[in-house]
Amino acid sequence: MIIFKVAAISLAGIRLNSVDHYSRDLSGLIKGCGAGIVVLPAYSSLVLGLGCGAFMSGPDFAGTLYMFSADSEGWNSLFFELHSTLARKNKIFLAAGTTVETEAGGYYHSAYCFNPAGEICCRQKQTHLTQVERELDFTRGEVLELFNLERLNGGSLKAGLVVGNDARHPEVSRIFALLGADLVLCSGALEAGINCWPQAAGMWAQVQQNQFWAVEAQLSATIAGQKYGAASAVIGPCEITPGLSGYLARGYPDTPAVTAVLNESDRQNIKSSYPLLKMLNREAYTGLLSL
Amino acid sequence: MAAGSFKEKLFQRYLIWLCRPARIKKHLRARLPSDRKPVPVDRCRIRAAALQLELNLHKSPFDYADEMHRRTREAVDRGAQLIVFPEYNNLQLMGMLPGIEKIEENYRDKDSANKEAGGGGEEEVNLTDLYRFMSPVVRPLVHTVFSSLSAAYGLYIMAGSYILADNGEIVNRSFLYGPNGELIGSQDKVHLLPVESGWSLKRGSSFSVIETALGKLALPVCMDATYYETFRLIELAGADIVLLPIADQQEYNYWLALRGIWPRVQESALFGVKSALVGSVAGFTFTGRAGIFAPLEITPNSDGVLAEVEPFDSEAIAVADLDLEALARLRADHPWRDCNSALYRKYFPQIYRL
Repeated sequence: MIIFKVAAISLAGIRLNSVDHYSRDLSGLIKGCGAGIVVLPAYSSLVLGLGCGAFMSGPDFAGTLYMFSADSEGWNSLFFELHSTLARKNKIFLAAGTTVETEAGGYYHSAYCFNPAGEICCRQKQTHLTQVERELDFTRGEVLELFNLERLNGGSLKAGLVVGNDARHPEVSRIFALLGADLVLCSGALEAGINCWPQAAGMWAQVQQNQFWAVEAQLSATIAGQKYGAASAVIGPCEITPGLSGYLARGYPDTPAVTAVLNESDRQNIKSSYPLLKMLNREAYTGLLSL
Repeated sequence: MAAGSFKEKLFQRYLIWLCRPARIKKHLRARLPSDRKPVPVDRCRIRAAALQLELNLHKSPFDYADEMHRRTREAVDRGAQLIVFPEYNNLQLMGMLPGIEKIEENYRDKDSANKEAGGGGEEEVNLTDLYRFMSPVVRPLVHTVFSSLSAAYGLYIMAGSYILADNGEIVNRSFLYGPNGELIGSQDKVHLLPVESGWSLKRGSSFSVIETALGKLALPVCMDATYYETFRLIELAGADIVLLPIADQQEYNYWLALRGIWPRVQESALFGVKSALVGSVAGFTFTGRAGIFAPLEITPNSDGVLAEVEPFDSEAIAVADLDLEALARLRADHPWRDCNSALYRKYFPQIYRL
């Protein structure tokens, strides 16, 4: 029986005013969670860079993101090194949230995951851009990467990283599911307010139509005066969650971390008794092949 | 019931005679208005009604016609221009079969016995045979009833879906009638439940989108809304409003019910009108909440719901105005939707290969 303990961290309560504080607070929280797979939210790199004064805030989110994007290269090296160390010291898979990186002249919103050896085990570029990101001339990723999450005592799950806005685009989750993903690690950032509905229309809906697990970390922080905060969650098919809600665990926007245990045999059972993906009717989808 | 024996054939002929269009038309003519006043179409305010029907077995086709008329009238009185009936809208007509009460009683007894014993039901009645037997009865009856109702009130009616025989195959098919009473579209259910596959239903292989004065309409059936592909294809074909008949065979649960049309409307930026069949017959219990849904960005409470009935097990109606212009504006200037053709071209041939 494959069982994984997972955690989604919002960065609420984590001191961002220095890399040292961030590292210590996050390490303490990770240890407290006791999870083997930990997910940080979107824009983790940006909020840390702003918090510790490496970057200036712009007049608004778009302006701030623009300034960060233009000058993130050196910062990213530090960001990767920091999270590589956190993954290695805590012997965990750490989906470190997202940053913006430049490649071949294009800006990409990318997520990184580090394995317990501190190596990058997955880098995922966001494949669907928001209006703001398109206006900032961001580039879309064109590849979806799957990687293995192995446990020290045996067993592994196939996983993919879902970056920000990709959670709302069902094509991403469907591709992951049909390529064999058991689990997706989602780094998100939603403006604070009544945002339970956009969240439900995102990762929750994708879990229900693909029957994989999702660990969704939502950012709790302020960027350029705009507060971000939504409920981090661990999501599974309704049938194997309390109250049939689809949530194994769900926090509030300012909850530092939510944790849950994934029992893979429960998921395999529901996939077997209600085989949603086997009931796809590919004959009817030829219109999608001409997109 | 195998439709083979002489007695059965004779009885089938009797039912066909009983449900003959001329007889049904005459019955309805006496009840329908003759001075219809069609409501002018305003693209900013198309009033839709999603009906929740309680499952009652009707012994007479007149009872069925009267029931469909009563519910249509209820929607018309609320100003509806577009009315949506639920899935399996022919189950009520099983009441015309002799001994159906006995079959139902057996199912109920067996169901409770099974529940006590913790066992699963063993099917005795071959439902496929029943659907085949009733098909030549149901088809003209349904056409007559909904053609008459839509013409009399000058509106669009999605008559729900029906399990029917067609060229030797059994399909779950929805029908759309226009304001002159003409059949303007139909759709075979594309994604079947395991129980429907067990009934040897043939699944559809494409989605219809019908151009009307109320915008482009699509009419997939129930389980089709579990799959994003349905709504994406319908959206790509230009649809504005999806009319979805459902009959959910499960105990009502908010989260389970949320898994269908609501997220699909968010993913594909469309209006969704969901009608529901509720109640029990022959061992099957249906629950649901009819409702009218829209993208979060154009619903007053930002929750994606324009109207939704409260009860999940009794008759109700949801009515709301659909603003096609607001939908067009949202689509043209959407804050988060994007298309990545390069990604789809890379993976779709692999994941959707036949």
